[in-house]
Amino acid sequence: MNTNHSIQLRKTAYASLFAALTAAGAYLSIPIGPVPIVLQNLFIFLAGLLLGSRMGLASVGVYLLAGACGFPVFAGGTGGIGRLLGPTGGYLFGYLPAVYIIGLITEKTGRHAAFDVIAMCCGSVVIYACGLSWLKLLTGMTLAKTLIVGMYPFILGDALKIAAAIPIAKALRPIMRIKD
Amino acid sequence: MNIIEVTNLSHRFSDGTIGIEGITLSIQEGEFVVIAGRNGSGKTTFLRHLNGLLLPDTGAVRLGGVSVSRDIPRARQMVGMVFQDADSQIVGETVFDDVAFGPENLCLNECEVKRRVIKSLEVVDLIDIADQRPHLLSGGEKRRLAVAGILAMEPRILVFDEPFSDLDYPGVRQLLHQTLLLHKAGHTILIATHDLEKVIAHADRLLIISDGKVVMDNAPEMIIKDVEAFGVREPCASRLGMEIESWLN
Amino acid sequence: MAELTAFHFRPGTSLLHTLDVRFKILSFVLISISSFKAYPSALSVLTLVIFYAILISCLPFKSILKELRYFFVLLVFIFIVRAMFTSASPVVDFKESAVAWQGIYDGALICWRLLIVVLFGLIFVSTTRPSDIRTAVEWFLMPFPFIPGKRVATMMSLIMRFVPLILDQARETIDAQRSRGVENRKNPVYRLIKLIIPLMIRTFKKADKLAVAMEARCYSEKRTNKALLSAKSDWITLFGVICLSILLSIIDT
Ligand SMILES: Nc1ncnc2c1ncn2[C@@H]1O[C@H](COP(=O)(O)OP(=O)(O)O)[C@@H](O)[C@H]1O
Ligand SMILES: [Mg+2]
Repeated sequence: MNTNHSIQLRKTAYASLFAALTAAGAYLSIPIGPVPIVLQNLFIFLAGLLLGSRMGLASVGVYLLAGACGFPVFAGGTGGIGRLLGPTGGYLFGYLPAVYIIGLITEKTGRHAAFDVIAMCCGSVVIYACGLSWLKLLTGMTLAKTLIVGMYPFILGDALKIAAAIPIAKALRPIMRIKD
Repeated sequence: MNIIEVTNLSHRFSDGTIGIEGITLSIQEGEFVVIAGRNGSGKTTFLRHLNGLLLPDTGAVRLGGVSVSRDIPRARQMVGMVFQDADSQIVGETVFDDVAFGPENLCLNECEVKRRVIKSLEVVDLIDIADQRPHLLSGGEKRRLAVAGILAMEPRILVFDEPFSDLDYPGVRQLLHQTLLLHKAGHTILIATHDLEKVIAHADRLLIISDGKVVMDNAPEMIIKDVEAFGVREPCASRLGMEIESWLN
Repeated sequence: MAELTAFHFRPGTSLLHTLDVRFKILSFVLISISSFKAYPSALSVLTLVIFYAILISCLPFKSILKELRYFFVLLVFIFIVRAMFTSASPVVDFKESAVAWQGIYDGALICWRLLIVVLFGLIFVSTTRPSDIRTAVEWFLMPFPFIPGKRVATMMSLIMRFVPLILDQARETIDAQRSRGVENRKNPVYRLIKLIIPLMIRTFKKADKLAVAMEARCYSEKRTNKALLSAKSDWITLFGVICLSILLSIIDT
């Protein structure tokens, strides 16, 4: 079972699985405090940490492409290029550089927990940078208001997700080791 | 003619566990063979050598005279395998697409793909829900879809790994019924199970595997009284000294 | 969780069902682009187009609307946020009614646009076989030699296979943990970890099994090529949509 072909196939299956987890993450939430924590970007973090830069990028890329073609992978069970161009589209596009950066940092630093935290913080910054600038551009809100609508309510949740991602990645890395 | 010939087959996993050891046997075209043994005895490991999902450490498997490792695509086309977990065997977004997956891998042209899909769906009686999404199917329908998926590759040998686990009574009966039809149509059938009750009435031959070795190999009625030593339950009727009856009656 | 979403193919024989999928995708993209900056006059035209499309596509629209209820909740949420945050003055200040009206107008406009985009998406997905969408994606990716089109197409179908599996699995895990009193634990990180690790381990096992099953069915990236055929009606439709987009951009200026 260790031929090149099966390794390739397994990678394809894992990348698809993460894209599917990201899609399912839009439906999955844990009700804590006033804003339920939606799991979508947790899976983006994990895709970076567990798949690495290249495969992570492929996973998110196909996710966005599937969404653009109308498959219902975005929040609310919708899809379509309109969602990518809509007010929240910037966050979705931000996933692409974010997963690559997270993957790159974790690969270069030997998968050390402290660096993983830094990697995910960088990833979040990238996601917000893309999301907020698109939101601001599209709606013409002031920067302060854009931040109130598009970032402050989610910061706490992101911190929790980063904290959770570390032990999750640690538990899963041995399971999904792909020998190549 | 022997369609399957296994000689001195052994497989050891990379962590050192012995999967199977020194299996030698041959199976004739058109036979209906049940392979029984307790969990972890090596049934799945053995079956995976038949289509090259696992390759032997020593020994060889020959299908119609050609070694599996020499031509793996041929082996996979010739041996259709239905896995234990039907749910994670389904690839397509609709019933039709899933059955088409195999023939498309064989690079057949579109007409031929369509012809085979329709034919296979008719055999398992799913043609009416060809446009349904697979995750909406019942457990029995999923298993039949898995069967259709491999029938579309037109295999000569059908291998079922624990096909009756988590099926309800009508589900078992329907799957059994269709398996028998396929047997009658000339397919060679191999069924691995730890529970003889449901199939043994139809088998020509019973193989008992224990700790990776074939410990018994004979007509079912010859050895059915002795299987309990190897962690396989003797069917009720046989215990009571009656003739084993098919689940279809 | 099985009937998760309204967005799935519904078999039929209408004109929309029989159009070439590449032309449908192009039209869908064009219309999405022209609606996302549209104003009420153009939006009214698009709404009429939607009604027309629904009529000729023979979709069971009542039941679809019912399945879209989560989306409507999202719309209301967006409306409220927009209505409250658009004005130049701070959050809620209803004494300056002119400003508040501006917010409501903006909110309504955005929701209208979003609704139109989503309904077009819905009509597109409901009348198009997923396998055809994948074939078209392969076709559109052909000019990019460094992107393996067949693999992308396979990944898309795997994604759509995995999502319901994951959601079923998640629901089972959540229920199992609830019945053992996980809700008494207030630490959200703990609960996240206890949900995600078993969920991911189980789905990874499924992915492994799926990969093996695909191998057993001779998976290869050299597969049957599906033919896509365009007819006159496809070109006419595309031409119509292009005219419509131009018209829409003129009305608004
Ligand atoms: N991938 C693997 N790595 C290591 N050991 C394995 C692997 N797969 C199976 N085994 C071991 O090989 C033996 C035979 O397993 P299997 O063929 O699955 O048994 P059965 O199908 O009869 O229940 C068991 O002891 C099992 O633990
Ligand atoms: Mg087994």
